[in-house]
Amino acid sequence: MRRLILLALAVVFGMSQLSAQKIKGSETVLPITQKAAELYLKVNPKAQVSVTGGGSGVGIAALIDGTTDLAQASRKIKFDERQKIQQSGNTVKEVAIAYDALAIIINPGNKVTNLTREQVEGMFTGKIKNWKEVGGEDMKVVPYSRETSSGTYEFFKESVLKNKNHMSGIMSMPANGAIIQSVKQTKGAIAYVGLAYVNKDVKAVHISYDKGKTYVEPSVKNAVNKTYPIVRPLYFYYLRKNESKVKAFVDYILSPAGQEIVKEVGYVNVK
Amino acid sequence: MNKRTKQKFAFFFFRLFSIIIVGILIAILGFIAVNGLKVINWEFLSGMPKEGMTEGGIFPAIVGTCYLIIGSLIFAVPLGVMAAIYTVEYAGNGKVVRFIRMMTNNLASIPSIVFGLFGMALFVKGLGFGDSIIAGSLTLGLLTLPIIIRTSEEALKAVPESYRTGSYALGATKLQTIRKVVFPCALPNILTGIILSISRVSGETAPILFTVAAYFLPSLPDSIFSQAMALPYHLYVLATSGTDIEASRPMAYGTALVLVVIVLFFNLTATLLRQRLSKNMKNK
Repeated sequence: MRRLILLALAVVFGMSQLSAQKIKGSETVLPITQKAAELYLKVNPKAQVSVTGGGSGVGIAALIDGTTDLAQASRKIKFDERQKIQQSGNTVKEVAIAYDALAIIINPGNKVTNLTREQVEGMFTGKIKNWKEVGGEDMKVVPYSRETSSGTYEFFKESVLKNKNHMSGIMSMPANGAIIQSVKQTKGAIAYVGLAYVNKDVKAVHISYDKGKTYVEPSVKNAVNKTYPIVRPLYFYYLRKNESKVKAFVDYILSPAGQEIVKEVGYVNVK
Repeated sequence: MNKRTKQKFAFFFFRLFSIIIVGILIAILGFIAVNGLKVINWEFLSGMPKEGMTEGGIFPAIVGTCYLIIGSLIFAVPLGVMAAIYTVEYAGNGKVVRFIRMMTNNLASIPSIVFGLFGMALFVKGLGFGDSIIAGSLTLGLLTLPIIIRTSEEALKAVPESYRTGSYALGATKLQTIRKVVFPCALPNILTGIILSISRVSGETAPILFTVAAYFLPSLPDSIFSQAMALPYHLYVLATSGTDIEASRPMAYGTALVLVVIVLFFNLTATLLRQRLSKNMKNK
């Protein structure tokens, strides 16, 4: 009887060895990995892939404690995160798989079309409280943010707010879809999402990083020719010792077929 | 106003409020059914998600939920029923039993998200299972333990004392009495509790969020150490993420309908089973 139990356990553990490639992290990268996993399995029917969200911070934390093989992140790994991995005797590898333009979105009923970086900063730090201060209607500004474990949040804070804090009491949303919903329903709303998430329910404003001289529309084209200022790379992170395990999937995303998926879901290809 | 009209007035309001409650339930179910039925077909129930989850089916989520139900029952039923047998048949009515009972009640009132965090700390990280079906099943099992213990206790208590004394009088031991007399009599009500816990397991999102749920799996899980998709979490995913929310909205309604039907099915089975078996009991 005991031998039978041991045998059963061995079989179960043996099988778990086969089921590889857990991918976890950024909500922004999810649509790419989801579709890539879908198509990757058609090419490699025996592969085992699982895709989970949670946010860039969650993905990298899972990489550190070994519960995921591949962390997807919409920001660069932080110094202390890298250190933690090195302390456990591993080295981390970084691969940029796509670029994402961050769009500033407002309600379609709002007449404002252009905003400077300084104006957006004012709205999110609480200095600008009414749309009429930036040439809009007399209407309260309602900023929506992502929660702090989100890489989009970090990147927005760094690039647009120049590392100033979001105003206190700002509404934090757990996912990009939730942001779109809120902006669609709130007349005075302003928020930020990856370009891929922009749809007809919201309006993306043109942004100026040179104090109002030129306003650039967020689009894949303007992200590629580098005229749109708020663009960030999206990364995969993995431990070097797991390289053989994850290499095939990473290579697939970087292949022409993989980069086609990147474009299809609305991001900018790296190759 | 005389007494009669007052009474009529009161009855009118009682009736009105109960109709409102039923009305709300019907409105919710109707809304989900009308929106969900459009996408329900064989492919939706048996296919994998396709095209960034805007097409195809929800088969992996249905399978995942079934795995979690089975897994949590394997863990919670023996433990819960045996605990109930101990407290009712063996432990008497001392301090220890009262303490155990108080703890079970407390366990029942803990918010499910706390179970999720606990499951992550103990099963996912502590025991090193990772995000896996076994970690999720154990967490859900913990969540349903109090339901199973409470209903089993009530079921055992409902068995008349005379059955036990009768059995002892025939020379049976205590264990024999429990196995051959008390437990079979209590079984219908115990089963009801188990079925109710199934409907709880299939609907919970918070406990599986950190312990098992995957955003997407292109193939079915192949061992208890794999992650799994599950209906309630898949519904959340379809409703909040993906780059094309409008396109995945019908899929979300379809998923909601499947989930509601599963939960209703188990609740109905529980009710019918209880009526049926308790009738049989009386006839004996």
